Amino acid sequence: MLPFLIIGVSIIVFGLTRIGGSPVAIYLSHEMSSEEVAEIEARYHLDEPVPVQYAYWARGLLQGDLGWSGVAAAPVTEVFPDKLAATMELAVASAIVAVSLGIGLGTYAGARRNKLPDHLTRIVSISGAAMPLFWFAIVMLIVFWVYLGWFPIGRSTPEVFASISHPTGLYTVDALVSGSFTAFRDAIWHLVLPALTLGYGATAIIARMMRSSLVEELQEEYVDAARAKGLAERLVLRRHARRNALMPTVTVIGLSFGFLLQGTIVAEIIFRWPGLGRWMADSVLRGDRATIMAYVLFTSVLFLIVNLVVDVVYAYLDRRVVLGS
Amino acid sequence: MSATSASQPAVGAANESALRVRIRRMRELAANVLANPTTLAGLVVIVGMVGMALLAPWIVEPNSPNASQMPRDWGAIAVPPGSPGHLLGTTNTGGDVLYGVIWGARTSLRLSLIVVTITVAVGVAVGSLAGFRGGRVDEVLMRIVDVFLSIPELIFALAIAAVLGPSFRNIILALAIVFWVKYARIMRAQVMHVKQNEYVDAARVIGDSNWNIYRRDVLPNSITPVVVQATLDMGNIVLVGATLSFIGLAEAGLAEWGVLVSEGQSGISGGRWWASTFPGLMVFLWALAFNLLGDGIRDVLDPKTETR
Amino acid sequence: MTTAPIEAPKTTAPVVASVRDLRVHFKTKAGIVQAVDGVDFDVRDGETLGLVGETGCGKSVTARSFLRLVPMPPGIAVSGSIMFRPRMRCSSCDGAGCSICGNTGRVVSICPACSGAGCDTCEQTGAETVDLLTVPERELRAIRGNRIAMIFQDPGKALNPALTIGKQVAEVFYAHRSDELLTSAGIDPASESLQNYVLRRRASQESRTPENLVLSLPPLRTRRNAISAAADAMVAAALNETQIPNPRAVMDRYPHELSGGMKQRVMIAQALACDPDLLIADEPTTALDVTVQARIIELINELQERHKTAVVYISHDLSLVRKVADRTAVMYAGRIVEVGESDQIFHDPEHPYTRGLIDAIPGASHERGRLAAIEGTVPELIDPEPSCRFSGRCAYAEQVCRSEDPQLEPIDHRQVACFIHHPPDHGVAPTFARTEQ
Repeated sequence: MLPFLIIGVSIIVFGLTRIGGSPVAIYLSHEMSSEEVAEIEARYHLDEPVPVQYAYWARGLLQGDLGWSGVAAAPVTEVFPDKLAATMELAVASAIVAVSLGIGLGTYAGARRNKLPDHLTRIVSISGAAMPLFWFAIVMLIVFWVYLGWFPIGRSTPEVFASISHPTGLYTVDALVSGSFTAFRDAIWHLVLPALTLGYGATAIIARMMRSSLVEELQEEYVDAARAKGLAERLVLRRHARRNALMPTVTVIGLSFGFLLQGTIVAEIIFRWPGLGRWMADSVLRGDRATIMAYVLFTSVLFLIVNLVVDVVYAYLDRRVVLGS
Repeated sequence: MSATSASQPAVGAANESALRVRIRRMRELAANVLANPTTLAGLVVIVGMVGMALLAPWIVEPNSPNASQMPRDWGAIAVPPGSPGHLLGTTNTGGDVLYGVIWGARTSLRLSLIVVTITVAVGVAVGSLAGFRGGRVDEVLMRIVDVFLSIPELIFALAIAAVLGPSFRNIILALAIVFWVKYARIMRAQVMHVKQNEYVDAARVIGDSNWNIYRRDVLPNSITPVVVQATLDMGNIVLVGATLSFIGLAEAGLAEWGVLVSEGQSGISGGRWWASTFPGLMVFLWALAFNLLGDGIRDVLDPKTETR
Repeated sequence: MTTAPIEAPKTTAPVVASVRDLRVHFKTKAGIVQAVDGVDFDVRDGETLGLVGETGCGKSVTARSFLRLVPMPPGIAVSGSIMFRPRMRCSSCDGAGCSICGNTGRVVSICPACSGAGCDTCEQTGAETVDLLTVPERELRAIRGNRIAMIFQDPGKALNPALTIGKQVAEVFYAHRSDELLTSAGIDPASESLQNYVLRRRASQESRTPENLVLSLPPLRTRRNAISAAADAMVAAALNETQIPNPRAVMDRYPHELSGGMKQRVMIAQALACDPDLLIADEPTTALDVTVQARIIELINELQERHKTAVVYISHDLSLVRKVADRTAVMYAGRIVEVGESDQIFHDPEHPYTRGLIDAIPGASHERGRLAAIEGTVPELIDPEPSCRFSGRCAYAEQVCRSEDPQLEPIDHRQVACFIHHPPDHGVAPTFARTEQ
């Protein structure tokens, strides 16, 4: 199923590259002479019927030719890794925030059903799903950067960033590897605001699911049975109720990944983060179809893979329980 | 067949009361939905916003020559809220924020209504076709749906609008292309479900046509999930549309919330918060209100799913 | 098994638990339901008391009240008391059984307030007495699973699906026998060193994550594993007692991998692990196949004999309770209507409801034909007027039955709550002699 979907996506992307401009433009890196243009046209068989063009285009992809990015003034494949690293760092940090806050908040609320913490959490959850990220991010910026000045904007302070080497491209990791505490602190400090902002929407979804799962589990008989054994309430909650409530929450965590992924575009614009998202946003504005093509392909494949992983994990966890209840 | 609006076949008394029953059920439904305070709050906000959208030309002086472009007051650049003539202040280029907020509701209403109408129509048609025909047709259509669902929505819409060219009309088109698939899935599931019911076989035996079965049995039952999804989408579409406009895919200077937020961005570092905050708040409220209403409807019609 | 008349000593054995005027109310959309409305009964040491009634009569709520397991929303008010006299392990035989403890392995705990002399706290008995409904949370936890244990109706639902059997059963030992665990692991529970402090917390399941991290490091790791091993040994022994084959293998399994009967054995093993004074069995065989039922009942009987545990056996199945219980209490609509020795109740029921129940049992000797059901349905328990709850369905009811509450009064060796046996002060007393209907 997965390969089929990937091919399907590639067809759509291919279609997109044929609309809105000449197909050859994706590969043009500068003012090329008509011979150079003709050579590219021949290489990709642009004079032949569309399905043939698709085949050559796909082959080109697999061979690593993703075209030339006008925005980055370089081949797409060259620029991709660094930007990917920056976005991954942000995405992972946001995911950590979302999962820990979401589960924590959901548990806290679920155990205090219909009391104040539960109502507050519900407000957070509902607002999170409807929250326009671009607005939320701007508000966060205004409050924490302009007025309070607690956090900086961007990914790093240029001098600090330049002071260490970057083997992995991940600022935090590289800082640790280089042993530079200043750089590490710089990395973290720049990450906090964007990660919290980007993670908010996912936190909301996860908290909501966790809370309702927990409330359901707390009504099960084994919870009372655990209490009847003389266990402290904290233990009953943690080891019995919460552990079972985590299962349905896992699927939501997978779902929220898609959320996070899409959010990076806006978040990177507003927080001036040099990652894939901002690159895509610039490309969209300047008609850099090579980048658009690569980005859509990449994110879709990633999205599909993550969904697959979540399904597998859930099936594995569920195997133990499927016959029980 | 008589062409009465209530589509009552000439069978008489039995069908007439069936309609009454349906009306009564709708009333009960509405009462239940409105009993929930958060849902009610959502509905109130929606009414307010839609009212604002419809009455916009009377609330603020429509800009000429093009009412959907932001009016510029070059004498009052970046003034804060409360300044004379500009209740919510102006942007860095003199655009009146209040105008943008109010007229933006109009733009959003237009956007969401058009997109939701198209997507529901297309999605329902495709899904019903797939469900009824089954076999090859079903497979092909559903595969297409699956592929569409593999691309994250915002990114898909972004890419389409980008290659089509930046304009509000293209945003509408892009959103329509991306958002119809959910309805196809819903309808197909409904049709499949009904097909499995024995009374459909019974109906077929007495020679009832597919269309009749569809109209009588499938459609009424599937209204629920479609309505829920459509309500949620009314909010969501504006959210995604505003995001696309924010990124820059709408015409510059359009009186639309996303565009306005983008315009206001440049003033942030200087502490001029109002140009982005107010329109963005509107997007939030709009999406929130429709979400609350949609959730409320869903809770009443399908109480088990307290999730999501 | 228990068709012989009950021996006198049991009926005058000391009382281990005494329910007094228990009332439990629930708040519902329709109003306040008085699910348990003035229930009184005693549980004597070592006996099996059956608690019988149809669905909804309040027997489960009564049972759960012993351990305060009634959820407090929607439950809103609990009044009355459940006095409990815990035992402690007999020091002379260390639980094995000797003449001093009457072979039970347990002796009565001395009332701390008067040191056995007799005072108000212990109601002049000299034995430690606590009110289960008001005792502080911490003490209640020490009682739960330890002095009073409970087994539930559906073992599939009462076991945590995400934990192995071994882990779950071990919890009781960690909760109540942590000192033994430490000793078995070669650690001195009394020692004050920091290491021991962390280990002690581990043995009583109080460790938090940082402590657990520390415990996974080599120096303390072996000790921690020793504690686990000790717990596992105790679990294996407990499972063995309930005749579970191959306990070690079962300990690694998850609940869904076991059959219903096995799961219930696990529950029983877990409940009896700390040698409780009282076992509350809430319909333990209802969810099991008939063939398995018999085995489980046998098991419970055996274990009860061995440990001399008092058992409150709850069921809606009369014929079952007759085989299992020494005494039986019949419950209807939140109240006890009749209490007495099981055989007497079944041979000669006094209360009209009990009569109806027994008549309704289809027996092999009955002719084929209509089943003798009791007419009518259980009344609503929302703000009931004072009246006999059964009066609506009673063939013998008089006016007085519909306007006053009959109290549980002694008659012969039993107690009955019915105006037929205890005529009211005024009004026409009902009698069994009814000609029509």
